[in-house]
Amino acid sequence: MPDVSKMKKPDVKVVLLGDMNVGKTSLLHRYMDRKFKETISTIGGAFFLKQWGPYNISIWDTAGREQFHGLGSMYCRGAAAVILTYDVTNWQSLAELEERFLSLTDTALQDCIYALVGNKADLTDQQAQLAQDPDGQPQDQTESRDRTDTLLSACPTPPDSPASLSGVHKQVTREDAVALYGRILHYKGLDEKSSLPADKMCFETSAKTGFNVDAMFETLFDLVLPSILRKRNENQRSPTVDLEEYREVGSKRSRSGCC
Amino acid sequence: MSVKAFELVPAVERDLLMGDKARINIECIECCGKHLYVGTNDCFIHHFLLDEATSSKGKLIYSSQKLLHKYLGLKKPVTELRAASALERLIVLCDGIVFLVDMVTLETVPSAAGGGAKIRGVTAFCINENPVNGDPFCVEMAVLSSKRRTVQIYMVYEDRVQLAKEVSTPEQPCAVSVDGYFLCLALATQYMILNYNTGASQDLFPYNSEERRPIVKRISREEFLLAAPGGLGMFANAEGVSQRAPVNWSESVIGAAVCFPYVVALDESFITIHSMLDQQLKQTLSFRDGHILQDFEGKVILASTKAVYVLVPLPLERQIQDLLASHRVEEALILTEGAQRNIPKDKFQILHKRILQQAGFIQFGQLQFLEAKEHFRKGQLDVRELISLYPLLLPASSSFTRCHPPLHEFADLNHLAQGDQEKVLRCKKFLISYLGEVRSTEVVNGCREDVDTALLKLYAEQNHESLLDLLASENSCVLADSVPWLEKYHKYFALGLLYHSNGQDSAALQLWIRVVDGDLQDSTRSDLYEYIVDFLCTSSNLDLVWKYADWALLKDPTVGIHVFTRRPASKDQPELNPDDVITYLGKHSRALLLYLEHLVLERRIQKEKFHTHLAVLYLERVLSLLSELPANEEQLTKARERLQAMLRESDLYRVQFLLVKTENCEQLLLERATLHGKLEEHDKALHILVHQLRDFPSAEAFCIWASSCRDSAYRQRLFHLLLGVYLDGSVPGSAPSAAGSNGGEMEMAAVDLLNRHGEVFDAVRVLEMLPEGWSLQLLKPFLGRAVRASMHACRTSQIAVGLAHSENLQLLHDRLKERKKPILISEKKGCHLCHNTFSEPSVVCLPGGVPVHTHCVAQRARDSPTKRQLTNSSNHT
Ligand SMILES: Nc1nc2c(ncn2[C@@H]2O[C@H](COP(=O)(O)OP(=O)(O)OP(=O)(O)O)[C@@H](O)[C@H]2O)c(=O)[nH]1
Ligand SMILES: [Mg+2]
Repeated sequence: MPDVSKMKKPDVKVVLLGDMNVGKTSLLHRYMDRKFKETISTIGGAFFLKQWGPYNISIWDTAGREQFHGLGSMYCRGAAAVILTYDVTNWQSLAELEERFLSLTDTALQDCIYALVGNKADLTDQQAQLAQDPDGQPQDQTESRDRTDTLLSACPTPPDSPASLSGVHKQVTREDAVALYGRILHYKGLDEKSSLPADKMCFETSAKTGFNVDAMFETLFDLVLPSILRKRNENQRSPTVDLEEYREVGSKRSRSGCC
Repeated sequence: MSVKAFELVPAVERDLLMGDKARINIECIECCGKHLYVGTNDCFIHHFLLDEATSSKGKLIYSSQKLLHKYLGLKKPVTELRAASALERLIVLCDGIVFLVDMVTLETVPSAAGGGAKIRGVTAFCINENPVNGDPFCVEMAVLSSKRRTVQIYMVYEDRVQLAKEVSTPEQPCAVSVDGYFLCLALATQYMILNYNTGASQDLFPYNSEERRPIVKRISREEFLLAAPGGLGMFANAEGVSQRAPVNWSESVIGAAVCFPYVVALDESFITIHSMLDQQLKQTLSFRDGHILQDFEGKVILASTKAVYVLVPLPLERQIQDLLASHRVEEALILTEGAQRNIPKDKFQILHKRILQQAGFIQFGQLQFLEAKEHFRKGQLDVRELISLYPLLLPASSSFTRCHPPLHEFADLNHLAQGDQEKVLRCKKFLISYLGEVRSTEVVNGCREDVDTALLKLYAEQNHESLLDLLASENSCVLADSVPWLEKYHKYFALGLLYHSNGQDSAALQLWIRVVDGDLQDSTRSDLYEYIVDFLCTSSNLDLVWKYADWALLKDPTVGIHVFTRRPASKDQPELNPDDVITYLGKHSRALLLYLEHLVLERRIQKEKFHTHLAVLYLERVLSLLSELPANEEQLTKARERLQAMLRESDLYRVQFLLVKTENCEQLLLERATLHGKLEEHDKALHILVHQLRDFPSAEAFCIWASSCRDSAYRQRLFHLLLGVYLDGSVPGSAPSAAGSNGGEMEMAAVDLLNRHGEVFDAVRVLEMLPEGWSLQLLKPFLGRAVRASMHACRTSQIAVGLAHSENLQLLHDRLKERKKPILISEKKGCHLCHNTFSEPSVVCLPGGVPVHTHCVAQRARDSPTKRQLTNSSNHT
């Protein structure tokens, strides 16, 4: 359900990009509604408002379908974070990020942060099959637990390769994602050393079980906070002199001076 | 998913416009207040007066009256019409020419002397509804021309148009909308925002305007609605950012408008209505030959090729009610909350509350209690609305009537549950928890009685454990209503509590007594009897205590007496007069005894009356046990012990009185001895003990007891007395070794006494008393101790003398030492008496070594002749 309170002006924007069917909408549902439910391919786009402490974060769910591709730049305009989503069982979905979606982010903020999210990890990793969501739908949990149980009893020793659960193969490894992250930084003309490390910004998630979903969103929110604060400051900049602020700057200076 | 949000109402029928001329079509419309202008393809402008009325069914209807029509003389369709009402002009686009027409006469305005009133080569124009220049008699207009890739800004005056600005565009523009400085343009392959003041542009998104008709529609300040690929309606603001999610209308939209909170769009055969709040399609109206959809000052007007219609929004409340009627709670709330800014605040609050309440009831009906509760809480529901669903829960005295129109469709709980008892039960459980939560909050202000009474009834009916908590704490349960319910469910104990909290303690007691007596059944408390006793015990109503103590005592005197003995002592609790109680207890002998014990032994009340009474009761008990045959030894022993303890320990009872009572009883000699002892008739007592009872240990114990609080001389006297009794009783002259005989026994007792308590006796007197013939051997322990004691005393005193002597010597020594100290005098020192300095070595020393003149001392001695001279002369320098 979209948030009615959208009349409130959001402080910051986060955009989900990625090919159709990778699970962008499902990730948002899981995070916002704590549920995994049926989706239809998104038309146009949708957005949600998340209260994060005192801030309002708008999260845009975009449509991956080719038809709506042209709208991407506009959705990304002014974004503080972009979540580039792919499907770990689908190599092409990662390739599309580089070919089709990366250029859409040109309209995002200068210091926009990028996350690479490989969804549907439940299909390839046992670890991701365990529901992580403490308040998720019990039905979902039992479902996935049951499956894990049978699975564990079926193979007492973990399989050698992480691939092939329920007949699906992992087509994108974490290394592939990390490599892409490096190329994204390159594309953005960013220095790898001064940017957020790939380690921190590449996630594998499952909207189905909730695996890593909260962690992914919340890591990002924490990272965009500085951007929010700066934006607030800009908006508040007024002709009146803020004595408090001045003093703080002064005291900082003197502190650094003495050391 | 549908809502009825709008109704399509005919405004101008076909025959009013073109009659039966088939080739004539509507090309454009303009509405300004009640004035409707229609431009046709045969170059006519028609002017109508549009009147709004309400039909008998409450529906809005329009009637139009034709005022004028005018041929513009160009033989081409009238492409666009815009009113500039402040100028009383219509801006007309026809045959690529923009010109001005008088709004009333429809005459073309001739060009003024200074400048033209015509623009040629125009493909489209739009009016700036948020103009930057402040002149009210000037209209700002953006114009697209067929040849140039530019947008021109014109100022339109009453009789002329004037080019103000021209900005170029990267491609040929084909649609334009303007707000402030911001032009929103549809170019051949994309949309863009262009600031005509600064020239800054912002690409929005690609769109093929040749393939599909673009739409650029200003919907509010700096916000536009655009047709996007894939049949989307996209929102974009002047910064090029989308702040609302797009709606999915259709691929071939001809016109669109926003009528908050809906986006209305027209294609060839349908009007689609989407909510901006949740992006959902809410309503579809079929509309053949749709041609134009425009909004004028909030009024959405549509035209087919032949007729004009108004799209009338149904009142918001009606829409919300429709949603609620189909149980679409979520949507109804979104719609309500979305309308917040369009409704005055106080009106909104009332509406919002009501919708929340209704939503709550819908969810309640679906047994979604958690959600229902949340909505009731947010909607500040009068809880009685909910209570009134449950038959008979509201007290008869309640003034409550359900609100009108009703908040829900249920007659009552039974109607809601349709006979499903499981459902009924769940609803009741919910109400119990809900009322339990709200009853201590301000939500129930003004209806506390109704809420508490309802809760009481539910508790009683459901056998709920909190019933007693409710009644034991402060509550507002209505008595009249609660009595029958509690009776019905046999909650007599609870009912008693209710009586109590209503100040009807007597009723409460009567009821409880009937339960204890088995007339009524209520197993709430197995210890109800004790509870009643406790209740009486703490009751401040003494009448009640007097009235019901009898019952309690009859039931069980040992417990019943607590009514009197366990009354907490406090200032606001009236005191019971013990005399009254004793009188009251007259027929309850057991209780009386307990009460007296309480007074005498526990509270230690020092009153002769109580002590005597208690002693007499003990005595009577012993006497009655004695008279029983066969005697119950165990009880008798106990009773006597008690009596004896009483006789020994109390000093207040009337000894003589008791003595008389025991006079004829040979079995109570021990008691008599004690009584004599109390009277200090020790000889009598000892006589009884020694001669009648021959109980020597008791005799000895008697001496110790009778002298226990006296000095040693008293004790000595008693022991000598006992010794005398023993010696008198022995056969004089016979040796004490002859055991067995009476005399021998006494002698043995005497010997034992001496040997055991030798220290008490005055050995010299004893020796005088003892018969000559007694063997030393027998008395050895006594004598030994006596000698030792006397030796000890002698030596102790010698030590004391020695110590005193040495102390004396020590003091003497100190004194001498003190005296030997030299006393210094010089010419600089002064005499303490005359304060002059010393001039010669001979001085007198005052005690403490203070030197003074000899003559000064002499003088002093003379002045106070009574004073003895204390000074010693000294010659030391
Ligand atoms: N197994 C599995 N399936 C998933 C997961 N996330 C999404 N899916 C499924 O993938 C399909 C597509 O999910 P969506 O969330 O609609 O994908 P999307 O990225 O929003 O697609 P578009 O809206 O078309 O761009 C649905 O059938 C989901 O059930 C996941 O974590 N695990
Ligand atoms: Mg989607």
